[in-house]
Amino acid sequence: MNWIGLYTLIRREVERTFRVVIQTIFSPLISATLFIFVFGTVVGGRIDEIGGVPYIVFVFPGILIMNVLTSAFSQASSTVYFAKWARTIEELLVAPLSYFEIMFGMVLSAVVRALTVGFVIMLVGMLFGAVSMHTFPLFIFYVLGVSIVFGLLGIITGLLAKSFEQLNILSTFIILPFSFLGGMFYTLDMLPPAAQKIALWNPFFYFVDGVRFSMAGIHDSNLYIGALLITTLVIGLGAVVWWIFYTGWRIRE
Amino acid sequence: METPALEIIDLHKNYGTTVAVDGISLTLPKGAFLGLLGPNGAGKSTTINCIVGVNRITSGTIKTFGLDVEHDYRESRKTIGIAPQEFNIDIFGKVEKLLDYAAGYYGMRKAERAIRVEELLTQFDLQKHRKKAFMQLSGGLKRRVILARALVHNPELLILDEPTAGVDVELRRELWKYLQQLSKEGKTILLTSHYLEEVELLADRFAFINGGKIVAEGSKESMLAGGKKLEDVYLELTGKKDVV
Repeated sequence: MNWIGLYTLIRREVERTFRVVIQTIFSPLISATLFIFVFGTVVGGRIDEIGGVPYIVFVFPGILIMNVLTSAFSQASSTVYFAKWARTIEELLVAPLSYFEIMFGMVLSAVVRALTVGFVIMLVGMLFGAVSMHTFPLFIFYVLGVSIVFGLLGIITGLLAKSFEQLNILSTFIILPFSFLGGMFYTLDMLPPAAQKIALWNPFFYFVDGVRFSMAGIHDSNLYIGALLITTLVIGLGAVVWWIFYTGWRIRE
Repeated sequence: METPALEIIDLHKNYGTTVAVDGISLTLPKGAFLGLLGPNGAGKSTTINCIVGVNRITSGTIKTFGLDVEHDYRESRKTIGIAPQEFNIDIFGKVEKLLDYAAGYYGMRKAERAIRVEELLTQFDLQKHRKKAFMQLSGGLKRRVILARALVHNPELLILDEPTAGVDVELRRELWKYLQQLSKEGKTILLTSHYLEEVELLADRFAFINGGKIVAEGSKESMLAGGKKLEDVYLELTGKKDVV
């Protein structure tokens, strides 16, 4: 294992993140703060408790995980796309780094950005009294698992994208709508019966619900399904990305 | 027999149905300075990309210092330094950082990296530009950074793909001097260039590539015997003599 090489790759990406700190950290922070204030405090102040917790505590895990997964996805997709566009991927290909190390470095840098964003949003949440903690190990499992899943998805998207515009397709048409429809602001029983059945097929519902249980102690779904889904996605997408690097698809001609 | 610095055996590289390299075999002894010549699209850059790991090999074998570039890729890549024709670098990155990252990829520790980066910044007269982003540099300075990056891990085999393209006369001569110095130190160098006078001055061996095949190879003495000019040999071997 080339530990120094791997550390360098992560260090470079993290430093690149902080080179554009307004875009990478402050932008999601401001957006999350507005969500917490508007939906948690202003609107939430007029809503009764849900599942025995104040609305702000109910809504916060969804806001948190949406920003965590968006950050992980943006980091990985932009890293890979920029590396292809500027041909800096060649710097890695000629270095004594294995495909696994390159993949691991890119995913880990996505996780670092996602956790940094998550951490600052937690601090804001604390100021608003929105943060509670029910099961810390499960919280770590969900936040880390979701970051890895979207880091891997970001790598695939970065490789597939042929323009900067295409980079945003997944976040605009999949991530944003599925997050909002994944029970961020409501419980399953608030939906019409048909919509409830559809919601159970939305993977984002399990991500939000799992984090909500770990923080607020309430849940709508079978938590085992959520845990199994995240584990399967980490292994499955990890295998796909490793195969991409191994075969050099869209990386090595 | 001493292990060659570079050994290419029956290299084939196809891009879909296009044959870019068609059975190249080439051996470069340690300390040699090879000029790899050929027209655009002859297969020079593809061959180089196969050596360094940017391209996958369709068939054949490449070894550097006895290390297979695919099976022993980690060790093999440590022996190679590459300065590519096109800039493949983070254009927003600062010069000193870019060199530090490159050294890190090769597993060099922090203290070791700091010393090596200082050496290279001084050697290539980049000290006053160390805090500048790559994109802020002039064409000549960019070339120096690319060359410094290729040398950051002190490789034994240096591959230079058009290193003086777009460089002014002054810097070109500086680079020549530096390459001659590296050659004297025992580094093995593979150089491609469209400036034939440059190759004639620097290289002690030539290989001519055309249509994905090596059409001639040999020492400078043997290929330029009888006072021949490299340009005439080049035009003859690449079938372009009648064009002129």
